[in-house]
Amino acid sequence: MTLIDDLQADIPETELARRKVLSLLTGAAFAIAGGGTAITTVRYLRPNVLFEPPSKVRIGPPDLIPTKTLLVSTEHKLYLARTVAGIFAMSSVCTHLGCMTRYDPGKQSIACPCHGSRFDETGAVRGGPAPRPLARKYVTIEGGQVVVDIRKDVSPDFLLKV
Amino acid sequence: MSSREFSATAGDDARAVPLRLLVVQEDERAAVHQRDENLVMTFPHLLVREIIAFLALSIFLVGISLIFDAPLEELANPDKTPNPAKAPWYFLGLQELLHYYPPLISGVILPGAVIGALVVVPYFHINLHRRPLYDDWHIAKMITIAVAVAALSAVFYVTAAHPVWSLIATTVGIGALMLLPGLAGTRSPVLRWLSTRSLSFWLFSWFLVASVVLTVIGTFFRGPGWTLTLPWRDGIY
Amino acid sequence: MANRVMRSIVRHGFPDTNRNRALAVFSNFFLHIHPVKVREKAIRFSRTFYLGGLTAATFLILVVTGILLMFYYHPSAPRAYHDMKDLEFTVSSGVFLRNLHRWSAHTMVALVFLHMVRVFFAGAYRPPREFNWVLGVVLFVLTILLSYTGYLLPWDQLALWGVTVGTNMADAMPYLGKEVSFLLLGGNQVDENTLVRFYVLHCCVLPAATALLVAVHIWRVRKDGGIYIPEDEVRELVVGVEDRDGDQDRTAGGDSNQAGAAGPKEAGS
Repeated sequence: MTLIDDLQADIPETELARRKVLSLLTGAAFAIAGGGTAITTVRYLRPNVLFEPPSKVRIGPPDLIPTKTLLVSTEHKLYLARTVAGIFAMSSVCTHLGCMTRYDPGKQSIACPCHGSRFDETGAVRGGPAPRPLARKYVTIEGGQVVVDIRKDVSPDFLLKV
Repeated sequence: MSSREFSATAGDDARAVPLRLLVVQEDERAAVHQRDENLVMTFPHLLVREIIAFLALSIFLVGISLIFDAPLEELANPDKTPNPAKAPWYFLGLQELLHYYPPLISGVILPGAVIGALVVVPYFHINLHRRPLYDDWHIAKMITIAVAVAALSAVFYVTAAHPVWSLIATTVGIGALMLLPGLAGTRSPVLRWLSTRSLSFWLFSWFLVASVVLTVIGTFFRGPGWTLTLPWRDGIY
Repeated sequence: MANRVMRSIVRHGFPDTNRNRALAVFSNFFLHIHPVKVREKAIRFSRTFYLGGLTAATFLILVVTGILLMFYYHPSAPRAYHDMKDLEFTVSSGVFLRNLHRWSAHTMVALVFLHMVRVFFAGAYRPPREFNWVLGVVLFVLTILLSYTGYLLPWDQLALWGVTVGTNMADAMPYLGKEVSFLLLGGNQVDENTLVRFYVLHCCVLPAATALLVAVHIWRVRKDGGIYIPEDEVRELVVGVEDRDGDQDRTAGGDSNQAGAAGPKEAGS
């Protein structure tokens, strides 16, 4: 069995230069193709259409929101309240590990049944393992209705002035 | 007889009577059979061919994927059977055969027999050496072939719901090719090549042509109610 | 440092010596199914048209595109059909990916058939390669089954009725037909159960079986000595004794009857 050893042959300089150019072009072609494939694949994987509920929720006219107590929206996981300064909306999802909190109007407190976190009626932490106050959401008035964007977080002292 | 003729007996003084004994044997050294084949390094020679083949395939597939869209008909409706209801193309040969023979034959026995024959082919050492069909007994062989072709065609004519013209044509066609060197001689290279083909070659070719013909008919030439249509006139169903 | 990193991953030098070229194949997880050296006659395009390799490559493309398509597909009826519409209209490159998957599927069926024809006409199924031929036939059947199970997944009229025709043909099998049909369909008709079963077969069971058997199939080719080259194409030399007196036997010297008296001839060089 004889090996055809192509390494034995002498390669002229012009041929080496040609091979270098071809290697470079091939590498560039593969890089472009590979990069293009990677980008296209990532774009493919990002969904353009989501089958989720809309991010902006309508609550109702501003008068619906009480002053002395919290308005609970279990459907949208929100607490809404009106103070002298304005209206705010906060998430009813506990900031510890994501459980659904419960509002006790009598005790004027919000409690989480999972690990015992407690919040006051402004969402500030009163006790328990919760690390942050309840997240406040962006509120506007659109067409006479209070609209909350549940995907837009705002600072804990945000209020919609009415 | 010359006195120089060698004769020696045991006991002669070796210095006085020098003897040389030559034995020339038939060569019995172990003959090393070695195939003289040229080898090349897998890297780069084989690997670069594989890469190029893969690239060519990819270009081809990406090309047709950019141009031709996969079909999507309306939502599946179990109450509404389309007419014609066609199987995927690789089953259309069988579906065409269904037109002539009951499902047991065309759907179970025949495909089973084909798969079985394929599996068994290498284990039957008939034609292992691929003897050409025409190495001996020309006339007898030609008559046998003609009779076999006629018999098979008769089977396809009589036993089916309607005569299976596609298979009859295939049988007659292959039979004609088999007989051609016997009738027309072996002057041209093509005829010579045909005359050296083995029986297993012809049998396999028959299956190949038959399956292609049946599939092509089922794909392009069958329309509603499995009636005969012409694709250039009626379109493809 | 870069050299150390390279050396830790690639355990051979740059392949500009035959030794490094050998190691590049031998010490590579993916490449070492190849031998280090191949017969030059075996790798020519005109011998095999690379049909087997191309079939495997098409399978690879199908696995990759198939996995990507799985990210948007729910195997429930009628959601599956709407997912196909989504792929067509709302998913970036959805049309292209689906097209690629479908045309690769048709191509693979065609290529595996052509590969079988090529192997037959080359006689590469003869002993000792018989069992590998059988494996090949099994792989052919698996390819058809993969195509068939995939055919149902879009859940359109073509899918539903194409599969119905196929299962009706299988139904005709005596004794086993009804039972096989029932298992395959997950019931008595092609419905949601069938869709899920075909999905599992198409995405898990059949690809795994195919990949495994392809590995065995290629391994056997290697163990049988590589691509089949017919005997008459291989020049065989008997090493050590040249045929010097032209009589085509391997004896040195002339007529073997004269061997004893001829006197010493030079022994073979």
